[in-house]
Amino acid sequence: MTTLELLAQAVAAGKAKDAKALTQRALDEAIAPTEIVDRTLVPAMTEVGDKFKRSEIFVPEMLIAARAMKEAMELIDPRLAAAGITPKYTAVIGTVQGDLHDIGKNLVATMWRGANFRVIDLGANVPPAKFVAAIQEHRPHLAGLSALLTTTMPAMAETVRAIRANAGVPVKIMIGGAPITQQFCDEIGADGFAPDAGSAVDKARALVESVP
Amino acid sequence: MTRTDQLRARLQQRVLVGDGATGTQLQALGLAPGECGLRWNVEAPDRVRQVHQRYLDAGADLLTTNTFSGTTLALAAYGLDGQADALNRAGAALAREVAGARAFVLGDIGPFGGLLEPLGETPPEVAAAAFRRQAAALLAGGADALLVETMSDPAEAQLAIAAARDAGAACVVATFTFQHSPSGLRTMMGSDVATALRAAADADVVGANCGTELSLDDYAQLAAELVAHAGGRPVIVQPNAGSPVVEAGRVVYRTDPAEFGRAAARFTAAGVRIVGGCCGTGPAHIAALAAAVKPR
Repeated sequence: MTTLELLAQAVAAGKAKDAKALTQRALDEAIAPTEIVDRTLVPAMTEVGDKFKRSEIFVPEMLIAARAMKEAMELIDPRLAAAGITPKYTAVIGTVQGDLHDIGKNLVATMWRGANFRVIDLGANVPPAKFVAAIQEHRPHLAGLSALLTTTMPAMAETVRAIRANAGVPVKIMIGGAPITQQFCDEIGADGFAPDAGSAVDKARALVESVP
Repeated sequence: MTRTDQLRARLQQRVLVGDGATGTQLQALGLAPGECGLRWNVEAPDRVRQVHQRYLDAGADLLTTNTFSGTTLALAAYGLDGQADALNRAGAALAREVAGARAFVLGDIGPFGGLLEPLGETPPEVAAAAFRRQAAALLAGGADALLVETMSDPAEAQLAIAAARDAGAACVVATFTFQHSPSGLRTMMGSDVATALRAAADADVVGANCGTELSLDDYAQLAAELVAHAGGRPVIVQPNAGSPVVEAGRVVYRTDPAEFGRAAARFTAAGVRIVGGCCGTGPAHIAALAAAVKPR
């Protein structure tokens, strides 16, 4: 097997030390950092997301794989930065105002990073105005809104309204969280909904790639 | 005979009725979404008492303290970790005061809000200390038993149950939160019923509460699985009032009290010994449930 094939396996299996060593070996073999990311790490994490989506693996396995990817990226990021290469897509993400739950939001942020999005994480309990300010500052392609509590779903609707009215940037808005449904997404005028962190990657890609 | 002994004895005699959701009841009394409900144990005790009283009047045998997010780790998100002891002790005392001799008090302990190492950032000993501190304050305030609930991670449940014991709890109830997967009902962390209940080996009463997209029919199936894996221990279920739907911009739970009462009778027929409610349930659901399962 090639170094990159071994690296893909190590990431999917969540073997962080192996992933780091194999990334170093790939760099030593003069494989381009972008190739390691685009041809190996991103597809490996996509496979992880697909397995999660089908409930073949669960949150622990997904988090361990993400950690392995992170180890690899810590070696690659400085080289990408030195070459002036940045991810093609940027996303901001946060849990809406009044909701302090961040496990789901963190999982989605992790999986988006795994798909090579630049992700700006605004944290939990984020007021609509803070989403708007972050969107104006970072001009992301995508904004992700999370809510776990049914009582904070109205805050999600309010945040979508605020972004549409005030951000002045054509950003796609994605929502998710345990009580969220496609029906709610349609009702509040968000662009997309995903039922889990694996599907959130597919939906995010579809949304950002739909923009000409 | 201690009140905890009485609780055990009562559980042998008949099915017991839990209470319903606390947060939504407090919000109906003016708690703002996102505001920390525990704060009201000290700042608006009359309203917390009122919620307990409504459930007691509806027929609840068990009152759950308003302390779900009461570990120092969860309270830190509100900057209230310094008041953890006082908020938990007051929460237990309020429920105890309303319960009197008519009901038992379950001191409520929810997840600490993060993930344990190695998956997350929280060292197990830090979480254990937070659980122990909450458990001690709840017992000091007068809780008759401790309820470790809404658990997804078996390791976290095990820590919380052990912490409750360390703090001196003579009776510990532990419940997990399940969702659908192609391989049956599992927690978010992937544990099936057998695995979850193994982690709760040291609990006196085991079961499930809340859940994602679980209908009351799903809960009937879950109840049967729980009874099968409980090793003879009493089983508790506290489902939501169905799954939430959005109607004209408002989030509603469509399961009406009568339907909830009918489902409760199915759970007890499957061998469940305690039935209560989680998200979306109120005093009317508990009244219907009490009418369905309590002997006259």
